[in-house]
Amino acid sequence: MTDTTVNPISGPPVGTAAVAPVQAPPARWLLLMRRPTFGIGVVILAFWIVCAIFGGSFAPHSPLAQDLLATNSAPSGAHWFGTDQLGRDVLSRVITGARDILYVAPLATLLGTVLGTALGLVMGYLGGAFDLIASRLVEAVLALPAVIIAFLFIVALGPSTLTLILVIGIIFTPLIARTVRAAVLAERDLDYLPAARLLGEGPAWIMAREILPNVLPAVLVEFTVRLGYAIFTVATLSFLGFGIQPPTPDWGADIYANYAVLPAGYWWDTLFPALAIASLVTAVNLVTDSVEQVANG
Amino acid sequence: MKDDRLSRLRKGRGEIANHVIDEYAAGRISRRDFIRRGSVIGLSMPLLGAIVSACSSSSSTAGPAGSTSAGSSSAAGGGGAPGAMIKAGISTPTAAINPVTVADQGGLDMLAQTGEYLCLSGQDLKLQPVLAESWTPNATSDVWTFKIRTGVKFHDGTPMTADDVVYTYKLQTDPKGKSSALSAFGGVLTPDGVVKKDAATVEFHLAAPNGNFPYLTSSDNYNMIIIPNNYDPAKWEKSFIGTGPFKLGSYTAKSSASFTRNEDYWGTKALPSGTQFTFYDTQAPGILALTSGTVDVLGQFSVAGAEQLLTGGYNIIKLKSSAHRELSMRCDQKPFNDPRVRQAIALSLNRPAITQALFKGYSDVGNDSPFAPVFPSTNTTVAQRAQDVAKAKSLLSAAGYPNGFTTSLVTEDSLEIPQYAQIVVQQAAAIGVKVNLKVEAQSAYYGQATFGQSDWLDGTMSLVDYGHRSVPNVFLTSPLQTTNAKSGTGSWNAAHFANANYDKLVGQYIGASDIATQKSLSGQIETLLLDQTPVIYGYFYNYLTATATGVQGVYPTAIGHLFLDKATK
Repeated sequence: MTDTTVNPISGPPVGTAAVAPVQAPPARWLLLMRRPTFGIGVVILAFWIVCAIFGGSFAPHSPLAQDLLATNSAPSGAHWFGTDQLGRDVLSRVITGARDILYVAPLATLLGTVLGTALGLVMGYLGGAFDLIASRLVEAVLALPAVIIAFLFIVALGPSTLTLILVIGIIFTPLIARTVRAAVLAERDLDYLPAARLLGEGPAWIMAREILPNVLPAVLVEFTVRLGYAIFTVATLSFLGFGIQPPTPDWGADIYANYAVLPAGYWWDTLFPALAIASLVTAVNLVTDSVEQVANG
Repeated sequence: MKDDRLSRLRKGRGEIANHVIDEYAAGRISRRDFIRRGSVIGLSMPLLGAIVSACSSSSSTAGPAGSTSAGSSSAAGGGGAPGAMIKAGISTPTAAINPVTVADQGGLDMLAQTGEYLCLSGQDLKLQPVLAESWTPNATSDVWTFKIRTGVKFHDGTPMTADDVVYTYKLQTDPKGKSSALSAFGGVLTPDGVVKKDAATVEFHLAAPNGNFPYLTSSDNYNMIIIPNNYDPAKWEKSFIGTGPFKLGSYTAKSSASFTRNEDYWGTKALPSGTQFTFYDTQAPGILALTSGTVDVLGQFSVAGAEQLLTGGYNIIKLKSSAHRELSMRCDQKPFNDPRVRQAIALSLNRPAITQALFKGYSDVGNDSPFAPVFPSTNTTVAQRAQDVAKAKSLLSAAGYPNGFTTSLVTEDSLEIPQYAQIVVQQAAAIGVKVNLKVEAQSAYYGQATFGQSDWLDGTMSLVDYGHRSVPNVFLTSPLQTTNAKSGTGSWNAAHFANANYDKLVGQYIGASDIATQKSLSGQIETLLLDQTPVIYGYFYNYLTATATGVQGVYPTAIGHLFLDKATK
């Protein structure tokens, strides 16, 4: 069992190999809960998660039901957000359209975080030639725009939910690895590592059980930051036609399908899914900011 | 009296011409059909007018409009001033402007700004002579003789002669070449069949009788502008050399083009001093350009997203067309190897509602054959298929799918097609068929456009776009005839439909040169296709062009040309 504590004077958390009571997490959670921006972010996020899981049961209409003789109807009592080009209820599509983005983006971010953390730990801990080569590779990947890399993968592998998760996860890996590596470098010179080595712990054990807990706050911040980007990336790829296939409701795809009718004045087809994306990204960023500030003390 | 005049006019006309005249005199074809058929077999407009008046009991009936030149318009001369600079917005040409390889609307539109065809297939689907003065078939319609117009010069001053026509046609019919026109010429005309008789006469010896052959020499077969003898088509984009009423000013790929009036034009000189074309990748910026006054003409628009143009403030030119979408089902694979299953899908569709949703009614309903209502040869006595969910379900049960099945539909991301595909998915769900939809970028969907390397041709269900043609021949052959790699037939047969009876009927239809025989055969073909339903033809949408008010004389064709030589503003 590894124990972790925070030294309030020196700032970064200090782990000791043997004994130290767990103190910090509850205090941090309390700090978080006291922040109103965190609360607002969580409420919005929770709202969309509820929509994603249970949306189908409380959406006023089926998101797929078409009314070909009532297309592009303006918002009204019957359809609060109006209807789209095929006469489908925009409100119901916005509610149920949360589903894919809300599991693709977190899963992709989680994948990226796990891979990136592992890579960052190894790079930072081992250092030397491995770090040098891996760092250059990471920089090379970071030099390319994420959406271009995503295109390449999706065109090669064919668009599917799994591909989206894999692609975004892999794109985020070097980003996260670099941050984790920097955090590990700060840990490397601290006393607890030689202590652990003297106790006979191997490199894998030290990375996983000694260093990782101490860089977890950085990883958590990185996860939340990347989650916001992932949501945006999923929406962008869907908008560009590389995401979830119609007629499944999806915010990005719905914006793409309907923005061509904007010049005719049918703003509701596009505006409401766009607002949904904006609210989700904002909510995640509110949470991220709070987590980041609390994590950094 | 009437008979005297008629028999004078019939004299020396040949068997096919007299058959058409007799059909009209007997009232079996309408005046409209008569003029159209007459123009196909090369009867001149004055002669057709004389026959119409000879047959007419009413002396007030006028002859056909006397225009022989491209680009006349009913709206011409509406008060605008000639000499204007007309600005048009059209879709971006997707590739180099090469007369041999052009296969898209923007490209064909560019070809026809400076190039001219032997004849023009007008808005009414009648043929008008352009670089050919006249044409006549032999008795069996397998040799057609074209008289080439004299006194015509290319933009570089060299005279246009039969040599140029022969060069162009040999180039475009070479089976080893890459001509897009091969889709129309395959199985009809080979280079050996193009024969120069004298400086102003060219004969086309066809592989089989073809009563509609002149359409293949018209603007319909849009690659067939006449280019100078031995001119390298790959260099055409530099010069845009042709014989037309405009000459190239400048061309910038993916951006714009400008043209100036050809003062040495052989026919009526163009009214505008010049034209400017701006290319748009999508419709929305084109509409904004028209509404803001940046362009005077929007070459084509689809209803979705352009509803504001339809509510007044703009001139809308609406052309009935044969442009359509083909929803093919793999006849060689389960579950669509059973015609009842294919019929069931077709019966699940509510076509009037589909055309209303997608086109606000600017569309004809399809009856699961390529015989669009706009074709004179379409047999309208064949009953229209309508939505019948109960019958569709019972057909599925009879075919062994009482609980429906799951299948897949692949299509391209273009215009209203993704919306149409989603309607198909939803309406098929009502009969228990779950369709997984895949909408792809066009390049991915078409792939190599050969069997085994194209989602379009390989998909279980596949939804593809077909542009307008003035006669249904191409629609009847490439996508429906039994595929034969050697002869090149059935090269777009995404349904993998193979039906000997169909092939025979289509062969007969193409060879038929009189409208009564064509109608009889089209009735049989329509019935056969309704029974087999390899492909669902949901609608034939109108071709829509918009101009600012005050702009007159714009002449689009439903295949995608935009002729501006009579335009004023």
